[in-house]
Amino acid sequence: MRNILLVAKREYLEQIRGRAFRLSTVGLPILFAVIVAIGYGSSLGIGAHKHIVVASTNPALANDVRDQLAHEKGDSGMDVQVIAPASPDMRAQIIQQIQTRAIDGMLWIEAPRGSLPEATYISKSAGDFMTGSRLHDALDNGLIDEQLARGGVTKAQADALAKGVPIVTYQVNSAGRVVRSDAQASFWKGYVMAFLLSLTTMIYGMNVARSVIQEKTSRIFEVMLATVKPSDMLAGKLIGVGAVGLTQIAIWLVAAGAIMATPFASVILSGQFSVHFSWFEGVLFPLYFVLGYLLYSSLFAGLAATCETEQELQMYMPLAAAPTWLSFALIVLIMNDSNSFWAVAASLFPPTAPIVMFLRMASEIPPLWQFGVSIALLVISIFATLWFSSKLYRIGILMYGKRATLPEIFRWLRYS
Amino acid sequence: MPVVELVDVRKAYEKKVAVQQLSLSIDAGQMFGLLGPNGAGKTSSIRMMMGITMPDSGRVSLFGKPFERASLDRVGYLPEERGLYKKMKVLDQLVFFGQLHGVSAHDARRRAIDWAKRLEIDQALEKKTEELSKGMQQKIQFIGTILHDPGLIVMDEPFSGLDPVNASLLERTLLELKDQGRAILFSTHRMDQVEKLCDSICLINNGQAVLSGRVREIKSRYERNHVIVEFEGDPSFLNSSQIAEARNYSGHAEIRLKPHANAQKLLHEAAAVATIYRFELVEPSLEEIFIRTVGGKVDA
Repeated sequence: MRNILLVAKREYLEQIRGRAFRLSTVGLPILFAVIVAIGYGSSLGIGAHKHIVVASTNPALANDVRDQLAHEKGDSGMDVQVIAPASPDMRAQIIQQIQTRAIDGMLWIEAPRGSLPEATYISKSAGDFMTGSRLHDALDNGLIDEQLARGGVTKAQADALAKGVPIVTYQVNSAGRVVRSDAQASFWKGYVMAFLLSLTTMIYGMNVARSVIQEKTSRIFEVMLATVKPSDMLAGKLIGVGAVGLTQIAIWLVAAGAIMATPFASVILSGQFSVHFSWFEGVLFPLYFVLGYLLYSSLFAGLAATCETEQELQMYMPLAAAPTWLSFALIVLIMNDSNSFWAVAASLFPPTAPIVMFLRMASEIPPLWQFGVSIALLVISIFATLWFSSKLYRIGILMYGKRATLPEIFRWLRYS
Repeated sequence: MPVVELVDVRKAYEKKVAVQQLSLSIDAGQMFGLLGPNGAGKTSSIRMMMGITMPDSGRVSLFGKPFERASLDRVGYLPEERGLYKKMKVLDQLVFFGQLHGVSAHDARRRAIDWAKRLEIDQALEKKTEELSKGMQQKIQFIGTILHDPGLIVMDEPFSGLDPVNASLLERTLLELKDQGRAILFSTHRMDQVEKLCDSICLINNGQAVLSGRVREIKSRYERNHVIVEFEGDPSFLNSSQIAEARNYSGHAEIRLKPHANAQKLLHEAAAVATIYRFELVEPSLEEIFIRTVGGKVDA
């Protein structure tokens, strides 16, 4: 135990004193905030500064569509030009303008009397589905306005009908209280927490792998093995690097707490974009970090022992990171129904459990038994991975010269 | 009671037998040379003494007891594949190594400073390892090996990479440690150092001990059939019928006589054609014994 703690202390102090720790502690949240801000900002500006022609045989409908686009929430200036009534000759001319990029696209609406209109959207960009979707909404609403106007409803009355009723959302929390919530805010909270969890797990898992490779390259292992058992070295390394990760998370939590106490945060958190953090999440986040970190870092440590350089180690990374990608690929499914079979299964499956559980928690706190099962399965997997990795580690750290092949790795497992 | 003892030790890796039926023992206050060509099984034998690998059969004892990890606190080990933490400060690193062997941080620091002064490397203590030359790093590694005052010091190729001045400093230090009662085992290819330093040797080839015992006793097994001649004049006496093999280095000749040859007759032949400054009948060097033994040409 003495040596485990000494190895852990050395790893901890070396990493905490390093520049990489200071940079990532400060830089990661800033970087993440910038990415989220850019993403949010650009989503507000979708379709902005586009020059669209709405051409129709029915001038009233074309003008309604233009009005709908002009009043759309968040529009910061889509330039809509109406050509109505439009003839087939004009269609060819407008397509020519699209070709020369004089305009970005054309919504062509054929509206024969007595039947439903037919619409086509022509542009240079095949992937501009956001603009297509907005035009679709505008056309639907414009058509309703036009039909209502024909039935004698005034434009103001039609707009009031089409405006809809905003729904204020509340959520029953774990204490049984009804609290204000916001689906979008919940999504972002879950996404941010899952992202930070996957990022820290991967970063510190990789740090363990890098530390193994560095020790192998510097030929320190045999010196160490004269006093420390390989399993103690591995344990010390996992504890030391894991403690660095927990320190970083603690710094982030304290900083987040301090920011939340400011008037700026209270405006954000009490408004429409209301987010609620519970102590339960505060406990689970470090817990799932520790479990996820132990699972991935013990795997990485074993794999790193079979490699000679960091470049060789990179080869394994896509394989090791696949569960993280899978977790985020399930995000829509989880947000739609956080209690669906696949969502529950992924939150119990150890490699995806830490991230998926947080994505599920963003919508609704899962039943306690599911936390219990997911944690138990994670603990079992960690022991299985440690068993496998310590066997690779024991032999791999003394093998110099070349990366082990798969048959060699199997032989190591058999011999150790 | 031997400080370290190997009895009929065997170690095989897949189809290759690295060590077979190896036995040796080293007492306190003894300097022991483990010799052998590359791949003979020296490092494998040392790794079994250190518990890094376990023998397939046979017995390893440290300080009179069957091997147990706790005994390693009394062993200093300098492996052939050795290194230091590159980004760590040298003094911190030495304290860390001392603590791993059960020395308190305070004592480890004091001893590290004392040893660094003795080995004339105290100016490096506050630097990071990556700032040191290879030779300086090797001295630091040596301090790390002996910092906890071990009863047994095991070193794999300790002189490789050292310049003559530092090699001599290391030799003197090892002799001091031996005089203080430490048992010292090292492997090397430098036979001159073995002749100078070692009380006993074990020569391994293909995993087996082919020659072992006290250096004096081993050398006495061989006939004194080597002659060193320093001369000026005609070298034609080197074609004498008494000589099996001769090498002439401009007035310094190393001669191996034929079995039962007459050295006095050779001296007369040489004196007849050249001025003789030195004519010495010597035992074969360890290097020659090594080459002959490993080459399977033992004529002792």
